[in-house]
Amino acid sequence: MSVLAPERAPVLDETTAAPPVRSRRKDFGGLLLAAPFAILLVGTVLVPVLYALYLSLFTERLRGLGFSGPEHVFAWLGNYLAVIEDKAFHTGLGNVALFALVHIPSVLAGALILALLLDSAVVWLRRMWSLAVFVPYAVPVVIGGLIWAYLYSPAIGPIKHLLGFDPLGDNAVLPSIANIATWQWVGYNMIIFYTALQAVPKEIVEAARADGAGGFRTAWSIKVPVIRPTIFVAVVFTVIGSLQVFTEPMVLRGFTGTVTSTWSPSMYVYEAAFVAGDNGRAAAASVLIAVICAVLSAVVMRFSTRRSR
Amino acid sequence: MELSPASWNGGLSRRGFLRASAALGAAGLVGGCTATAAPPGATKVTIWSWLTGMDKYVAAFNAGQRDVFVELRVIAAGLSGGYAQQTNAIRAHNAPDVLHVEYQGLPQILLTGGLRDLTADLADLESQYSPAAWRGVRPDGRTWGVPMDLAPMVLYYRKDLFDQHGIPLPRTWDEFRTAAAAVKQVDPQARICSFPLNDGSFFAGMSWQAGDPWWTAQGDTWAVDIAGEGTLRTGAFWQSMITEDLVAGVVHGTQDWIAGMHDGRLWGLLGASWSVGTLGRSIPKDIGRWAMATMPTWNGKPANGVQGGTAFGVSAESKVPEAAMTFLRWLSTNPEVPKIGSTFTTPFPAHLPNRAVARQAYQGGYFVGDPVYDVLDEAAKRVPDWTWGPNALRLFSTISDTFGPVRSGGITLPDALRRIQQHAVADMRAKGLSVREGKAA
Repeated sequence: MSVLAPERAPVLDETTAAPPVRSRRKDFGGLLLAAPFAILLVGTVLVPVLYALYLSLFTERLRGLGFSGPEHVFAWLGNYLAVIEDKAFHTGLGNVALFALVHIPSVLAGALILALLLDSAVVWLRRMWSLAVFVPYAVPVVIGGLIWAYLYSPAIGPIKHLLGFDPLGDNAVLPSIANIATWQWVGYNMIIFYTALQAVPKEIVEAARADGAGGFRTAWSIKVPVIRPTIFVAVVFTVIGSLQVFTEPMVLRGFTGTVTSTWSPSMYVYEAAFVAGDNGRAAAASVLIAVICAVLSAVVMRFSTRRSR
Repeated sequence: MELSPASWNGGLSRRGFLRASAALGAAGLVGGCTATAAPPGATKVTIWSWLTGMDKYVAAFNAGQRDVFVELRVIAAGLSGGYAQQTNAIRAHNAPDVLHVEYQGLPQILLTGGLRDLTADLADLESQYSPAAWRGVRPDGRTWGVPMDLAPMVLYYRKDLFDQHGIPLPRTWDEFRTAAAAVKQVDPQARICSFPLNDGSFFAGMSWQAGDPWWTAQGDTWAVDIAGEGTLRTGAFWQSMITEDLVAGVVHGTQDWIAGMHDGRLWGLLGASWSVGTLGRSIPKDIGRWAMATMPTWNGKPANGVQGGTAFGVSAESKVPEAAMTFLRWLSTNPEVPKIGSTFTTPFPAHLPNRAVARQAYQGGYFVGDPVYDVLDEAAKRVPDWTWGPNALRLFSTISDTFGPVRSGGITLPDALRRIQQHAVADMRAKGLSVREGKAA
């Protein structure tokens, strides 16, 4: 099937193949066109990242009652050690790992199945269906979270009566959070998959049909392998999104005590920065999360290139 | 908007003018700042606050004189971002002249070194403030803030239901347990009240009553006593109430809670003075059902906790501290302020003469039983000594995190309190503060 995978990075080849000698005017025009992006990248990504790295190396020391104000001291890697040793951070990582275990398969499987159904001729009212599944993504996460929180509320929401247990209780809150996130992201991933499926060459599908493959067989053996690169990109995005889960648990925290202030690593950063007022520790934790994200994305990408070879 | 044309036709009455200027101030707030221009020569004072109605107070102040012009920026409430914003502004040396600090957040803000010592500026007003509020702005014996209001805790209860079923109003916590059992017997779906475990500020208020302050500033050292006798007694009492399923667990202020309060599944509320307004807004149709009383006590010894309360500090780097104090003295002590406040809320000023004004202006009609301000006054008188520590706001998160598994039996309240004590001491020591464990000597 590897023959069917699209050629890798034709765009890159074109740029490297451009003539090496350029006039100065062309350079200037290129710079001008790149400037808006470059300025935003430097101003909103690179500078804050460097500043976070700088902040993560400092801490504030107080004396006595503390009312004489803090003293800035260089902490070497003290903030990083504090985060790495902090049980709350470990618990947060554990929660997110469990969350990912529930969320990633359900989002991707759900999105893939829906996309394949939409792509097959079986579905009537295709537009209405795709819109209905996509709508949750258009709802702001906070509002979606609040709607679910009301549905979950034991006394006024229906879900406790339907399921027979409290969806905001100790053991149920993690799947409840995963459910909100899944509801939100299935439609988005479905659109990505559906768009990729539209690009599957019709001849292959017809050839498969001529060879006697049924709907399931075509979907599983032809369509899915063809869009595999797209699926892996979606996996990377979903892994990163899972690690950074923040809004859903933050909203539910207002409704139940079972979501702690450091439930996910992102909430840990928020607590350190905005509740404890410890910017050094918050910066160190963010850097660690970024590193974990980078490593996980690299692993997934590595895995994907190996599989599609 | 309260802009009434009648007041314009009949000449510009003082009240009409105030209303008009208040409305103008509110209109200016759409952009986040009051947009009205300062009169020439006036000293400009900037203030950040999330107090409801602050726009109206500021507009009235600006309209009343021409020497000081106050520019308000409404910021997010305390732990929703207000404290972070103010702390970061202090760090960045661009703090406003006046900062919003609740009593519980004052010592934590003080750790930035960003507030001005107001001891000399306010010394003459000491006798005019409620002692609990005065202590609240003086954690270490110096005055760091101007008290605005006080929020003593009170018991709200469904007088109609209590009377109908012959359940006497509980005056001690033992009687409270008996009453709770009686409520549950009358209606198995109903509970006497909720005891929200995710609200650290609420639990602190409940423990405040028990007489063992969590922090005490002793010379240059903090005595930290979160697992003291009184707090553990409070914890053990509520643990038994939870174990015996005599209290609900809904979070105050949620839709679940409002529904329960309205349909008779909750017969009471352990609230604070500001709950007067909350009840009126959340369950406006329940007129004539609710009454209020001072909190039940431990063995008849009168004591009442506090939950919340606002004060204002002046930035240490303010270039106009005198003008800032002119405004804050007006805000805290001028009788115009509670009059304006009474039009949209039920103010309970820390300044005693102003409290009398608020009592006069109170509309009433919602509650039955003892008069609202009588109960609040008595509750305020009963508030024992308490000092908020420099990690109070963070501790509220720790409390809610540690109490999380209490309902499912994962931990008991007394055990959780011992853990919180360890956590708090470790956190304070890690910052470099000088800490001694246990009761103040």
